[in-house]
Amino acid sequence: MSQSTFTRRRFLQVAGAGAAAVTIPEWLAACAQSGSGPSTSGGTPKPGNLTAFIGKDTAHPQAQAQLMAMIKAQFEKENPGSTFSYDTYASASEETTKLETSAAAQDGPDIFEFGSTLVPTAYATKAFEVFTDDMWNHIGGRKIFFQPQLTMSGPSPDKLIAVPVSGNPFAMVYNKTLFSAAGIKQPPKTWSEFVDAAKAMTNGTDQWGVSMAPADGFDPWHKIWLFVTQMGGQLMDSTGKKALLDSKESVEACAFWLDWMAKYKIASRQFATFKGADEVRAFATGKIGMDVMTGPGGTVTWDNSPVAGQYEFTLGPTVPYGMSSLPPGGKPAQGFVSGQYWTIFKYSKNPELALNLIKVVVSPDIQYQYFKLRAQQPVVLETFTKYPDAKAGPWAALYEAELKAYPTPFFGSWGPLEVEIGKAINRMAAQIGITGSYSMDDLKSALTQVNQELQATL
Amino acid sequence: MRVPYWLMAPSLVLLAVIVFLPMLFAFYISFTGLNENTIGDWVHAPFVGLKHYVDGLSPKGPLAYSFYTSIKASVVFSVATTLLILPLGVGAALLLNSRLRGRGFFRAVVLLPYILPAFVNGILWRLVFMNGSGVADQLLAATHLGSRETFWLIGPRSLWALILADVWASWPFIYLMALAALQTIPGDIYDAATIDGASAIRAFRHMTLPLIAPTMGLAIALSTINHFNNFALPYVMFGPTPPDEVNVLPLNIYVNSFITFNFGLGAAMSVVALVIMLTPAVLYLRAARVGDTD
Repeated sequence: MSQSTFTRRRFLQVAGAGAAAVTIPEWLAACAQSGSGPSTSGGTPKPGNLTAFIGKDTAHPQAQAQLMAMIKAQFEKENPGSTFSYDTYASASEETTKLETSAAAQDGPDIFEFGSTLVPTAYATKAFEVFTDDMWNHIGGRKIFFQPQLTMSGPSPDKLIAVPVSGNPFAMVYNKTLFSAAGIKQPPKTWSEFVDAAKAMTNGTDQWGVSMAPADGFDPWHKIWLFVTQMGGQLMDSTGKKALLDSKESVEACAFWLDWMAKYKIASRQFATFKGADEVRAFATGKIGMDVMTGPGGTVTWDNSPVAGQYEFTLGPTVPYGMSSLPPGGKPAQGFVSGQYWTIFKYSKNPELALNLIKVVVSPDIQYQYFKLRAQQPVVLETFTKYPDAKAGPWAALYEAELKAYPTPFFGSWGPLEVEIGKAINRMAAQIGITGSYSMDDLKSALTQVNQELQATL
Repeated sequence: MRVPYWLMAPSLVLLAVIVFLPMLFAFYISFTGLNENTIGDWVHAPFVGLKHYVDGLSPKGPLAYSFYTSIKASVVFSVATTLLILPLGVGAALLLNSRLRGRGFFRAVVLLPYILPAFVNGILWRLVFMNGSGVADQLLAATHLGSRETFWLIGPRSLWALILADVWASWPFIYLMALAALQTIPGDIYDAATIDGASAIRAFRHMTLPLIAPTMGLAIALSTINHFNNFALPYVMFGPTPPDEVNVLPLNIYVNSFITFNFGLGAAMSVVALVIMLTPAVLYLRAARVGDTD
């Protein structure tokens, strides 16, 4: 190599210093950025451009577009000079990524829509406005809503950050034709009756009493939470700092659900690979007797399938297997509070306008459109008075289910808990699928393992 | 002659901003308790030191099972896939480097799996491997080689399902690299070998292989790293809670960071993944003696 007055080492030194000189000041400036949202006391806000980030309704995309156009038209009529636009997320991961990046950057849409189980995480980021009494009064007051829905709006009544905009009640759906053929006169009220009814509808080859989705990432925790709550147990202690996935109630709950395939054989081993969508499709074949803790979302598929006109919603069983009444501490839960919520981003430049938009969305007329166009349950009670069909027919059971829904614990760590339960159940379901059975020792070991992993993150 | 190193400044600045700074930041996060409670004020996330590394790497750590299972899954997956696509890719390159009718057409067709988006590939193979209804089980049952109810998406076979799906999608990469290497070999050395009485196999062993070895070394290193980093395929095929056999490190990192919001732990796992992935890169650089001067 020839001698050079500008050596490679010297060049790297200069280039490195140059890169640092360019990037570090901007990095530090970004780090120093902080936000303090303006007050949101309602009143007549100045015109602005409002943005929202909402979940995509993959079952009714055109209906959602139609509904949002109605909301936009009404909002812009009531707020002359202001405009409203929205963007959608199609998956939970998009939802959470947007939440994280917006919270970190303190920059994002004015309104975020969250599913109920993500509201605790949103609260934990401290990136959303806590609604004052004035703000609630501006949109009609807390009393206009299904009260159970508000239990997932915040950790306590004075710290609510989310306004419910639509409900997703959980109930049991059953096939009336299969019930009738099996001589079952009414839906089961206890899990013992449930297993008996399912056995009566099972032929062991192509017809099963119940379907399940143990390979789903999130469906398992729905069922395990339900059983544990009815038994009087918890999956996490009341402080949210101690995981209880390996508690006696949790082990029994998991065992009972897995026994649908392994012991009672009321669900096919083939369901070991099922995710949520597979479970909905299975019920649509008309060869499944019951589907537990399901919402109205499946009706889009069922209404265009062999099971059309043959299914009905009802409240699910509430008494643990082998018992005739609830044990001490047991709750008659048959579903948890679920729905979509709107929050106002703390760094929004249009918080008053955001409040006005929410007022439009929770009006009975728009709430009825949620029901009519998108088959989603309204969350504002006046809607049912003004439009009685919103709780007629199959929706009567769903209305009752919503009134009786229980909240899940309001902890930011609930998200990791959902994943850890899913891991344990996935593992055991695989064992059942391949071998036809599972060992209780393996189940306890799996739950101890995931409990340890969850505890490490608390 | 003075070498104008300053011309490299723009690309170095870009590298610094896009690659090195984020890496340094990830390294820093791995020592903090950055999660959903502190993301809103991430600059002040609490310092936890080596907690995430100890939790994951210490044999008795609460996260050791998850960590080591993922490392094992990733290593087995990436090595097995690379070993399988190597003969496939080289064989196809040898075939399509020779005079063949419709060679141009076949050279294009073999690239189709490679250009398919990863999520499409994942959905396709998930449907193929669905128990009962999937093509794989139907074929096994029709040929009496297996049962119609064979499980591929859960249990030990899930690893083979993932490997097969990735082999199908990625073998054209080795084929492309091998083809490019083959085309740099002058044809007259094969003529000379034929005159000297060398058989085709001998010519391949003693002439072709040594001449394409440097390129194939690079291809193996890149391929191993790519497969180790593969997130989309396992995520689409198995979801966020996959069987242990296919709970590869990228998927585990994603779940910890973006589903359970444990960014500090995800960053620590990413640092470990980086160290592991440096191994094939360093091995290749040493074998190829990159940077040595005569």
